[in-house]
Amino acid sequence: MTTSTHTPVLQVIDLSLRYQTRQGEVQAVEGVSFELQQGQSLGLVGESGCGKTSVATSLMRLLPENARLTRGQVRLNGTDLLELDDEEMRSYRWRRIAMVFQAAMNSLDPVHRVGQQIIEAIEAHGMETTVSDARERVARLFRMVGLDPQLMDRYPHEFSGGMRQRAVIAMALSCDPDLIIADEPTTALDVIVQDRILRELKLVQQELRMGMIYISHDIGVVAEVTDRIGVMYAGRLVELGDTADVFRSPMHPYTAALMSSFPSVHGERLPLQGLAGEPPNLIDPPSGCPFHPRCQYADEVCRTEFPERSIHEDHWAACWHPLEVTVTGDGSRDGCG
Amino acid sequence: MISPQSDQQNFSREPPGIPESPLVDLHPGRWQMALARARLALRSFRGGWAIFVESRIGVLSLATIVLFALMAISHPILMATVWDAEVYDPVTGYAFDRLDHPAPPNWRHPLGTDPLGRDVLSQLLSSTRSEFVLGITAALVTVGIATTVGAVAAYYGGLVDALFMRLADLIIALPGISLLIVLSALFRLNLFYLALIIGILGGFGGTAIILKSQALSIRVKPYIEAARVAGGGHFHIIFVHIIPNLLPLSLLYMMFTVTGAIFAEAVLSFLGLLDLRMSWGIMIHTANTGGYLLGGTRYWWLIIPAGASITFLCSAFYLVGRALDEVVNPRLRRHTS
Amino acid sequence: MTGYLAKRAGQMALTLFLIVTLTFFLVQAQPGDYATFYALNPDLPAEVRAQIKESFGLDKPLWQQYLVHMKNTFTGNFGVSFGHFPRPVLDVLAERLPRTAVLFLTATAVSFYVGFFLGKAIAWRRGGVLEYAATISGATLFTAFTPAFGLMMIWIFAFKLGWLPVGKFLDPLVWRGAEVSANHVFSYMLVTGAAFIAFAFLVLFFFRRSGRIGSAPLVRPVIAVAALAIPVAWAFSDIGYLALDILRHMILPIVTLTLISFAGTMLLTRNSMLETMREDYVMAARAKGLPEKVVRDRHAARNALLPVVTSLVYSLIFAIDGSVIIEGVFSWPGMGMTLLDAVRSEDLPLVMGSMVFIGLFSLLAHVIVDVLYVYLDPRIRYQ
Repeated sequence: MTTSTHTPVLQVIDLSLRYQTRQGEVQAVEGVSFELQQGQSLGLVGESGCGKTSVATSLMRLLPENARLTRGQVRLNGTDLLELDDEEMRSYRWRRIAMVFQAAMNSLDPVHRVGQQIIEAIEAHGMETTVSDARERVARLFRMVGLDPQLMDRYPHEFSGGMRQRAVIAMALSCDPDLIIADEPTTALDVIVQDRILRELKLVQQELRMGMIYISHDIGVVAEVTDRIGVMYAGRLVELGDTADVFRSPMHPYTAALMSSFPSVHGERLPLQGLAGEPPNLIDPPSGCPFHPRCQYADEVCRTEFPERSIHEDHWAACWHPLEVTVTGDGSRDGCG
Repeated sequence: MISPQSDQQNFSREPPGIPESPLVDLHPGRWQMALARARLALRSFRGGWAIFVESRIGVLSLATIVLFALMAISHPILMATVWDAEVYDPVTGYAFDRLDHPAPPNWRHPLGTDPLGRDVLSQLLSSTRSEFVLGITAALVTVGIATTVGAVAAYYGGLVDALFMRLADLIIALPGISLLIVLSALFRLNLFYLALIIGILGGFGGTAIILKSQALSIRVKPYIEAARVAGGGHFHIIFVHIIPNLLPLSLLYMMFTVTGAIFAEAVLSFLGLLDLRMSWGIMIHTANTGGYLLGGTRYWWLIIPAGASITFLCSAFYLVGRALDEVVNPRLRRHTS
Repeated sequence: MTGYLAKRAGQMALTLFLIVTLTFFLVQAQPGDYATFYALNPDLPAEVRAQIKESFGLDKPLWQQYLVHMKNTFTGNFGVSFGHFPRPVLDVLAERLPRTAVLFLTATAVSFYVGFFLGKAIAWRRGGVLEYAATISGATLFTAFTPAFGLMMIWIFAFKLGWLPVGKFLDPLVWRGAEVSANHVFSYMLVTGAAFIAFAFLVLFFFRRSGRIGSAPLVRPVIAVAALAIPVAWAFSDIGYLALDILRHMILPIVTLTLISFAGTMLLTRNSMLETMREDYVMAARAKGLPEKVVRDRHAARNALLPVVTSLVYSLIFAIDGSVIIEGVFSWPGMGMTLLDAVRSEDLPLVMGSMVFIGLFSLLAHVIVDVLYVYLDPRIRYQ
């Protein structure tokens, strides 16, 4: 457990997910575990195909037909979501866990009014009893995300990209969820709009004291919004820690490489080279540490055994040879492992 | 800056001092080009065939078409060898060996005789040939017109395009069978005219629209631009570069045209509106005017062979078209990943 | 939106103009002279012949004849039918048109509904028994030889089972002694049907506007009561038994036409659904915790409807051809039957009139589809 005394909103324990494809079984998620406190936000970063979106859809249980959860638990306020039947899960969706989708542009149905699409969620979870109350609630949500409430009777195609994004966030907030998952919500937007929406999202999340999981391939964006950061590689969580700690002293060579391939928010660049090679094929993942083929520090043990680690640390990495690099002078850390 | 290729070759021959231009050596000869093209066509045909045979329904339908083709060929052979024209001629024959016309199937007449004492099998086989002639003529006319119209409309655009497309809109706004019924009142329609009219209606109608949109996507390909820069004339580009690339899709729409033509012929013959010697539709027409159709299964040999032939041959061409669609149009294939 | 509709209306006016022109030149191109057709027709008295010659300008040059033809067509003067002499063509068609309209519109509406319903069901649950059964039977019916299929229906339901009449519009035995004409009864039936549809729409509209959340529980009962009240009211009227006779004659052609045309909509809906089901907004709808039925109907199927409605034009035109054939098979005295009879008896004025009206019918189909599409797709509605 973390040193914090709060009970966690979300506990993910040893989550594993397989996709059945014609080429074989894909190990999309393997043994992922993490916790999230109330009001806390966690960023999940990694290259595309590393399993971050699969984690998100597993939490919502919105998996495609060829996916199978092989192990693990997803405890939301103590209840294991994977044990619920379909109808119970339906009542948990949006009411407890809401999501801002990756392609927010397309997650609004083009043939219904934007307000109506929010009202139908409010209606499905019995949040309000009359249409006028529901509309009032939508108006409040619109104001919260910086949209004119009069826009609720417009159709999605009449909204700009930024407006749609705000509407989708308002939609996610509509049933007061305990946890909100934002899956690359701002990738399609230009940088300035992206930045404003990020700040507002963070403000709203803190104000409503919701848990938030923020998924992105852009470690710089994640650093701006989240309290903690988790780095995924080849379906595994390879490093987890407070955002400031991870940024100051990344322990996993992959994290360090990720940070060097994006200019950091603080403007410094790590003296590490960019990543060579491709992410591994998850149908036939490498033995041992999945990162070893691309890692300059890899040795015999990396090739044969996966670096098991305890999650009781505040900041840990699944690595046999964690880095001891410190970016800024203060707070130098020792690796663990 | 660049003159057409033929000019360069002329130029190279003219100056007496230079025996042969290096350009001629660099360019492969005409027949070599043709050979390379044929080889390429063969390879893409093999690739397409591999996809086609994946569709069991497509293969089965192709086999059905081949079977009908064999039936069509067998009629003249049978007439020349074992069948006596006085008895077995599909129109003027009379089965003197029986008195009870329509006679049920027997040893000499495997499918019985019709109310006028003519051999049903002979009628069925001789009709098969006319259906093929009709279907293929109509399909060739349709595709010939539609490919040219599509390519020309896409290449020139503007007024030419607008004109052809409005014409196509007009044709698809008209119910085809009803129009053919009207035409049959004004003109004596024989097999050839029917094929021609169906071909023209199809060629300037819906098929032209589809082939035009395909041609539009070809027109923007780099090799068209290259051909234009190399000095290719309009005629050259349309007939050498655009139309050959439309052929796969044309083949597909040939199949659908055949279905439509056979169906239209059968309906019009059934209604007694065509000037044909014999066809499946006429066989049913004969049975119907004699009142045998409402006898249900009692006189099955008058209805079922002809009716089933119409249905099977129509759907076989239609289903081969559907299977070809999967070859031509990768988006429809079942396994994309 | 008005711009879009105006543009479409313009295109349709042009199409109609072209159809009328085409009619004229087809008649001119046919072997034999249209003028001599009239002049030599023994059914016509001499003075009528002269009058027709005059009103069609048959003694004038071609281009003047064409202008006269245009004017006549748009004023509804199609001449006098040979076969139904001395009734004007327009009169014959006006009698036949509603009969075809009922056959055709009912069958199209039912087959569209059934096709859409089955299509979305088989797409939603892929690989079920229903999918195979519906696909195979649908494709078979779709490609079946229409006349043979119609005759088979007659054989099964009229001859073997004896449930329904063989064909035609009414049974003369039932109508012997009746004091009202069939057309009279039929027009009352049409009015009733139209009133019921209007009532159902009003009910739906009214309850949708109410302020409470959740589906309006009264909609179905109210419509059901109205649907029951109508036959009861007819049963107590003097002409109820006559209406029933017409209705009994209508069932088999409508069912047959429905069966041959639902598969097109079904297969198209299925393909369209398979595409929309992959859309993000369907995933989002499910994430919102909406019941599966709502996700399917309000989001996936609602969007899948758009391309299906676009191609409804082709289904409607297919159904026009289908109803011509079906009318021929069932001897249903509508437009199609009229056309066939006119063609067989070389009643040229009636042929031309029928053709113009069938053209009008398909243009009407286009208008219906356009209006429907504009209503269904907000992206066009608010252009």
